[in-house]
Amino acid sequence: MHSQDKSSALGQGVVIFIYLAVLTVMEYFIAILLDAISILIVVAVVKAALVLYYYMHIYKLNEEDADHDPHSYVFKTATNRLGLWLFLLSDGFLFAGLLVVRSNLLGLHRPDLNQLLGLVVTSVLLISSFFMNRGETLMSKGDVKGFMRNTVITFIMGLGFLLGVVFVEWRTAAAEGLTPSFGSVATGPVGGVFYLMTGMHAFHVLTGLIFLYIVWNNARKGVYTAEKHFPIEAAAVYWHFVDLVWIFFYPALYLIGKP
Amino acid sequence: MRRHFIAAGILVVVITILTYAVINFSGLATQMNPVAASAQAGSIDALWHFEIIVISFLFALITGPIVYSLVVFRRRAGDTTDAAHIEGNSTLEITWTVIPLIFVMFLAYWGAYSLGETRRVAANPLIIQVQAQQFDWSFIYPEYNIISNELHLPVDRQVVLKMESKDVIHSFWVPEFRVKQDVVPGRITEYRITPSLIGSYKVRCSELCGTHHAYMERPVVVSSQADYDAWIKEQVALAVEMQKSPEGVGQRLVAENGCLGCHTIDGSPKAAPTWLGLYGEHVTLADGTVVTADDAYISRAILQPAADVVQGYQVLMQPYPFTDAQVASIIAYIKTLK
Amino acid sequence: MKSFWRGLVTFLIGAVVGYALGVILEGTVTGSMKFNAPVASALAFLFGFTALAYLGGKHSTIFRGLFWQVIGTFAGALLVTLIRALSGKDVFGPFFFTEPAWVLGGLVGALAFLFGSGIMDDWIKWMRGIDTPEHHEERYSGFEKYINVSLDHKVIGVQYTVLALILLCVGGLFAMIFRTELAESGLQFLKENVNVFGQNGPQLYNTLMSLHGMVMIVSILLGLAGMMNYLIPLMLGAQDMAFPRLNAFSFWIAVPAGVLLLSSLFLGGFDTGWTGYPPLSTRAPLGIQMFFLGVFVAGWSSILGSLNILVTVVRLRAKGMTAMKMPIFIWSSVAASIISLTATQMIGLAFQLVIFQRLLGMGFFDPAQSGNPVLFQHLFWFYSHPVVYVFVLPGLGVISELLPVFARKPLFGYRWVAMSSLGIALVGFLVWAHHMFAAGMNEYLRVPFMYSTLLVAVPTGVKFFSWVATIWQGKLVTPTAMLFVLGAIVVFLLGGLTGPPNATVSTDLHLHDTYYIVGHFHDTIFGGFVFPFFAALYYWFPKATGRRMNETLGKIHFWLMTPSFLVLTVGMMYIGMLGMRRRIVDYDPALGLDATHLVLTICGYLIAISIAVFLYNFIHSIKHGEKAEGNVWNSRSPEWQVPSPMPTHNYDQPFEVVGEPYDYGLEGSKYVQFTKSASDAAGKH
Ligand code: HEA
Ligand code: HEA
Ligand code: HEC
Ligand code: CUA
Ligand SMILES: [Cu+2]
Repeated sequence: MHSQDKSSALGQGVVIFIYLAVLTVMEYFIAILLDAISILIVVAVVKAALVLYYYMHIYKLNEEDADHDPHSYVFKTATNRLGLWLFLLSDGFLFAGLLVVRSNLLGLHRPDLNQLLGLVVTSVLLISSFFMNRGETLMSKGDVKGFMRNTVITFIMGLGFLLGVVFVEWRTAAAEGLTPSFGSVATGPVGGVFYLMTGMHAFHVLTGLIFLYIVWNNARKGVYTAEKHFPIEAAAVYWHFVDLVWIFFYPALYLIGKP
Repeated sequence: MRRHFIAAGILVVVITILTYAVINFSGLATQMNPVAASAQAGSIDALWHFEIIVISFLFALITGPIVYSLVVFRRRAGDTTDAAHIEGNSTLEITWTVIPLIFVMFLAYWGAYSLGETRRVAANPLIIQVQAQQFDWSFIYPEYNIISNELHLPVDRQVVLKMESKDVIHSFWVPEFRVKQDVVPGRITEYRITPSLIGSYKVRCSELCGTHHAYMERPVVVSSQADYDAWIKEQVALAVEMQKSPEGVGQRLVAENGCLGCHTIDGSPKAAPTWLGLYGEHVTLADGTVVTADDAYISRAILQPAADVVQGYQVLMQPYPFTDAQVASIIAYIKTLK
Repeated sequence: MKSFWRGLVTFLIGAVVGYALGVILEGTVTGSMKFNAPVASALAFLFGFTALAYLGGKHSTIFRGLFWQVIGTFAGALLVTLIRALSGKDVFGPFFFTEPAWVLGGLVGALAFLFGSGIMDDWIKWMRGIDTPEHHEERYSGFEKYINVSLDHKVIGVQYTVLALILLCVGGLFAMIFRTELAESGLQFLKENVNVFGQNGPQLYNTLMSLHGMVMIVSILLGLAGMMNYLIPLMLGAQDMAFPRLNAFSFWIAVPAGVLLLSSLFLGGFDTGWTGYPPLSTRAPLGIQMFFLGVFVAGWSSILGSLNILVTVVRLRAKGMTAMKMPIFIWSSVAASIISLTATQMIGLAFQLVIFQRLLGMGFFDPAQSGNPVLFQHLFWFYSHPVVYVFVLPGLGVISELLPVFARKPLFGYRWVAMSSLGIALVGFLVWAHHMFAAGMNEYLRVPFMYSTLLVAVPTGVKFFSWVATIWQGKLVTPTAMLFVLGAIVVFLLGGLTGPPNATVSTDLHLHDTYYIVGHFHDTIFGGFVFPFFAALYYWFPKATGRRMNETLGKIHFWLMTPSFLVLTVGMMYIGMLGMRRRIVDYDPALGLDATHLVLTICGYLIAISIAVFLYNFIHSIKHGEKAEGNVWNSRSPEWQVPSPMPTHNYDQPFEVVGEPYDYGLEGSKYVQFTKSASDAAGKH
C-alpha cells in the first residue's frame, strides 16, 4: 500500500471507532429502556463485524502472495497469519462455550452488576482497540515512534481494564454478595458464571498485555520495519480479538435479562 | 463380467442368510434379550429385528464382493501387470448416496414412531416414587405411605416412576423392560412402563455411580393384581406395626434414607462397615484410636460422618440432618442387629 | 540408549526410596505402618521421577523435562501450601499436599517441563528480539535423536508413534488387569480388603477402567499425530511442517500430559469412567484432578498439532497439487484436524469447570446451587462425539491410500471419498446428544439427534462402497499391511453397522451403558484406528528405517489378533444385550455370563500376545530387518520415488504434480515429476 492509503487508513480507524462507540451507547440504552434481546444480539454482531474487518483485517487472509518463494517474508507472513487466525478460531470456541454455559445456567437472568461500571470498562477496552489500530497503521508507514506511543496508550488502557475488572468490578460484586459459589434455585450459579467469564477474559487480556510488551520492547530495539513487522500485526489482531470477545460478553453479563 | 456380478450377488445372499441365521441362533435376532416383560418392549423389539436384518444384509453386501475378489481376481503368480483402469462412476456414487439417504430417513422415522409408542400414555397409571442413592434404590408408594426396597408392580397396568437422586447420577434399568432412564440429582425424571409378564426381575443401576455401582441392584416383582394387592396389604400392616416401636421407626428411617446402600446388616463388607454386631463393639478409627460404639459415638457417626472415620474407609457418607429422636430410633434399630 | 537405561534404573531406585520414606512418614504420623499408604505411593511417584530425571537428565530433553516437571510440581504445591499455612487453612491432605496444592503443582509442573527441557528456547529468543536460524542441524543421531528435541517432522512423527505405542501398552495392561478380574463373577483379586495406592479393589477397578479408556484415547490421538506428522509433509512435497517449533512443542507437551494422566493412579485414583460426569466427579478422590489436568494439557497438543497440519496443507503443497489432486490421506487429515482444532476447546472447558467447582465451590453442576449436571454432558459430548471421527478419519484415509496400491487399480470415485471425509466431520458436529438419550434431557430433542446421527451413515457408506468398487476386479496381493487394511474394513464395518441401533432412540434405551456399546466402540476404534495404524506401520516402516518388518511375524500378528478381537467384541455385544452393564467390577452370576466372560478374557490375552509379537518384530526389524530401500510397494506416491530412509531434508529436488494420485493401470502416467534432472528415484515408474 502507498502512504496516502495509510493516512486514509488512519482516518478510517477514527470513523470505525465512532461507529463502535455509538453502537455501544445504543446498546446500553436499548438494554435499559427496551429489554429487546434480539436487537442487542444484532448490535453485537454488527460491532463484531466492524472489528473483524476494519481492525483485525480479516480480508488479509485472502490476499494473494505475489511470489511463491517459500523463503520470502511475504510468503511466511501469509503462513503465520493463517496460523494466527486458526488459533483465534479455536479460542473462539472456548468463549462460545462460555456463552453456552451462561445461557444454559442463567437464561434470562443476569448477575446484579453496576451497569454504568460495565459501560465504562467496555469503553476503555474499545478505546484501547482504537489506539492499537492506530499504532499498527503507523508501523506500516514505518513510524516506529508513533507505534510505540500508541502501544503505550493501548497498554495502559488494557491494564486499566484488567485492574478495573479484578479490583473494582470483582470487589464491588463480592461486596454485594456475589461470591464464586453464589447460587440459588431462582438464579442458578450466578457467581460462578460471572467470575468464570470475566476471569477467563481477564486472563486473555493479561496475555495480550504481555504480547504488547514484547512487541513494544522489540520495536524499541529496532527489530521491525515498515515491511517486516508481522509480530506487531499478530499482537494487534490478538488484542482486537480480546475486544471482540468482550463485545459479546458485555451484553451477556451486563445487559441481557433481569438481575 | 456379468457372470462375476451374478456369482458375487449369490454370495451376498448366502452371507446375509448365514449372518442372520447365526444371530438368530444366539437368540438375538427376532428380539432383544432377555425376555420381554413390558408392553413397550414390543415396538422396540420389532425395530431391533428390522435392524438385524439390515445389518446382516449390509454386512454381506460389503464383505461378499471383497471375499469374491480376494478369491477370484487375486494376483496370479508371475503376473506383474496392473489391474483395469477404472476411475469411478458418478451414477453409481449417486446411487449409493441417495439410496442409503432415503433408507436412513426411513429408519429414523421408524425410530421416532417406535419412541412414540414407548412413551404412549395410558389412563390411570400407578404412580410410584423412586429414590436412588449410592448404592441403593428405595420405592415409595405414596397412596399407601409405604416404603420398600423391592419394587412390586401389578401386571398390565401402566406405572409411572417419579425418580429422584440424592447424590449422583444413577440409571434405572430393568433389562426385561428394555427401557432405561437416568436419575439425575436436582430434578425428577419420569419412567413409564407397562409390565406385561409376571415374574421376578432386577433393577440394575446402569450409570457408574461410584465404588459399589456394580451392586446397586434390587428385586422387581411383577405379579397379578391379586398378589399385588396382598403384598400392599401386608406392607401397610407392617408399616403400622413398625411405627409402634423405636426399632421399627429406626428401620423405616434407614430404609427411607438408603443407609443400606453402603452398610449391610448381615456382616458382609460393602462400601461402609457392617452394622451387624456394631453396637457396643470396639471400633478402630483411622488415626489409630479405639473407641466403643456407644450411643454417643453412633450418633456422632450419623450426624457428622467426617468427625471420626473408621479405619480402612473413606468419608463417603454425607451428614444426615436427623432430629435427636430419629437418631435414637436408628440406634435402637442398630442395637437389634446382633 | 545408555542414558535411557540409567534413567530407568534410577527411576526404580528413586521409587523404592520414596516409597520407604512415605511408609515411615505415614508411620510416624499415624502410628501404624501400612503398605500401600497413599502418602507412600505419592512420594514414590515423585521421588522416582526426580531420580530418573536427575541422573538421566544430564543429556536428554526427556529426562531434563521430567526433572523440571517434578521440581515445578513441588514448587507449585509448596507455594499453595505456604499460602494456605499463612491464611490458616489445612496444610496437608490425604496425599501429603492438599488438593489445590496438587492442582497448581500439576500445572506448574507441566509448564516447568516445557521451559526446562529447552523446547521453547527459540521462542524465548524471538521474544527478546533475537533471530534464530530457520533450521537447526540435527545435534544427535540414532536413538538419542528421538529422546531429544528435534524440529524434523519425521523425527517428531516417530516420537509420536512410539509414545502412542507405549501408551497403548500401558492402557492394554490396565485392560488385562481388569479383564482378568472379570473372567469370573464375584471378586477374585480386586477385593474389598485390598489396598493399593489408597484404593480398595472395586475402586482400583474403576480407576484402571477409567484410565484404560482415557490412556487409550490419548494414545490414539498421539498415534494419529504420528502418522500425520510423518506423512503429510512428504506427501505434499514440503520440507517440513509450516511451524516446526510449534510441532515439536505439540509433541513435547504430550509427555507431561501423559505423566499427569498416569499420576492420577497414584493419587487416589478416580471412579468416574473416562467421561468424568459430575456430580460423581465432584466427589471423586484427588486423582480426578490429575486426570482432568492431564487431558487438558493433552488437548493443547491436539489443538496446536491440528492447527499446524491445516496450515501446512493450505500453504505448503507442491506445485500443481490442487485440492482434487491431494492424496486422500491428506483430505481425511484435514477433516480430522478441523474437528480437533475447534471442538477440543469444549472438553477443556467442561473439565475446567469441574476443576473450578471442586476448588472454589463454583456450582456449575451442583444441583444444590441449581447448577445443571446435564450441561456438562452437552459440553463433554460436543467434543467427545466428533473426536471419534478424529480417531477414524485418518485411519480410513490410510485404507483408501493403501487399497489402490495393493489392488493395482485407481481409487474408485476419488472425489466422493475425499468429500465424504468432510461430510462425516461436519455432520459429526451435529449429533453429540445421541450419548444422552437416557440422560433426562429434553424429550423431543432426541428425535432430531436421531436423524442427524443416522445421517452420518451416508458419507461413511460412500467410503465403504467405493472401497468395495476399488477392490472389485483388483489384482489383489496380501502382504501384512494389506491384511490389516482388509481387517480394518471388516472390523470397522461391524462397528459402524452396530451404530444405527444405538442411534434409534428406543433401541438405545436398552443398549445404552451396556457391553453392547463397549463392543460397538471397540469395533469402530479398532477398525478405524488400530488396524489401519498397524497397516501404516507395516507399510511405511521401510520408508523410515530402510528395512522391512518380518512378514511371517506380521502374519502371525494378524491371524492371532483378528479372530480373537472379533470374538472379543461380538461377545461383548452379546453379553451386553443379556444385561451386562458397563463399568462394573462384578456381575450377577444369575445372568449366566461367566463362561462368555472367560472366553472374552482369553481373547483379550491373545490380543496382548499378538501385540507382543508385533512389538518384538518392530524393535528387532529396526536393526536387523531385511533391507528395503527402493519403492517396495511399487507405489505412485512421491515419498516412494526417492530412496529409503528418507533424507533429512526430504526431497533434494522439488516435485511437481503432473497426474492423478491413484492412476494405477494407466500406461505411462505419473503422479509426480521431479523438476530439474530425472531423479535418482528407486521406483520403476
Ligand atoms: C471410532 C469411533 C467411533 C465411530 C466411527 C462411531 C460411529 C458411530 N457411532 Fe459410536 N461410539 C463410539 C465410537 C465410535 N462410534 C464410542 C467410543 C462410544 C461410547 C462412548 C462412551 O459412552 O464411553 C460410542 C457410542 C455411540 C452411541 C451412544 C450409545 C450409548 O451410550 O447409548 C451411539 C448412539 O447413537 C453411537 C452411534 C454411532 C453411529 C450411528 C456411528 C456411525 O458413524 C457409523 C456409520 C457407519 C456405518 C453405518 C457402516 C457403513 C455404512 C454403510 C455400509 C452404508 C449403509 C448403511 C446404512 C444405510 C445404515 N455410538
Ligand atoms: C484405543 C482404544 C482402546 C483399545 C485399543 C482398547 C483395547 C482393549 N479394551 Fe478397551 N476401552 C476403551 C478403549 C480401548 N480399549 C475405552 C474408551 C473404554 C471405555 C472406558 C470407560 O467406560 O470409561 C474401554 C473399556 C473397556 C472395557 C469395559 C470396561 C467396563 O466397562 O467395565 C473392556 C472390558 O472388557 C475393555 C477391554 C479391552 C481389551 C481386552 C482390549 C485389548 O485389545 C487390549 C489388548 C492389549 C494390549 C494392547 C496390551 C499389549 C501389551 C503388551 C503386549 C505387554 C507389553 C507391556 C508393556 C511393555 C508395559 N475395554
Ligand atoms: C454413601 C455411603 C453411605 C451411606 C448412604 C450411609 N453411610 Fe454410614 N458410613 C459410610 C462409611 C464409608 C462409613 C465409615 C467411614 C466413616 O466413619 O465416616 C460410615 C460409618 C457409619 C457409622 C459408623 C459405623 C462404624 O462401624 O463405626 C454409622 C453408625 C453410620 N455410618 C450410620 C449410617 C446411617 C444411619 C445412614 C443412613 C441414614 C448411613 N450411615 C448412610 C457410608 C455411608
Ligand atoms: Cu447407581 Cu450405579
Ligand atoms: Cu457419538
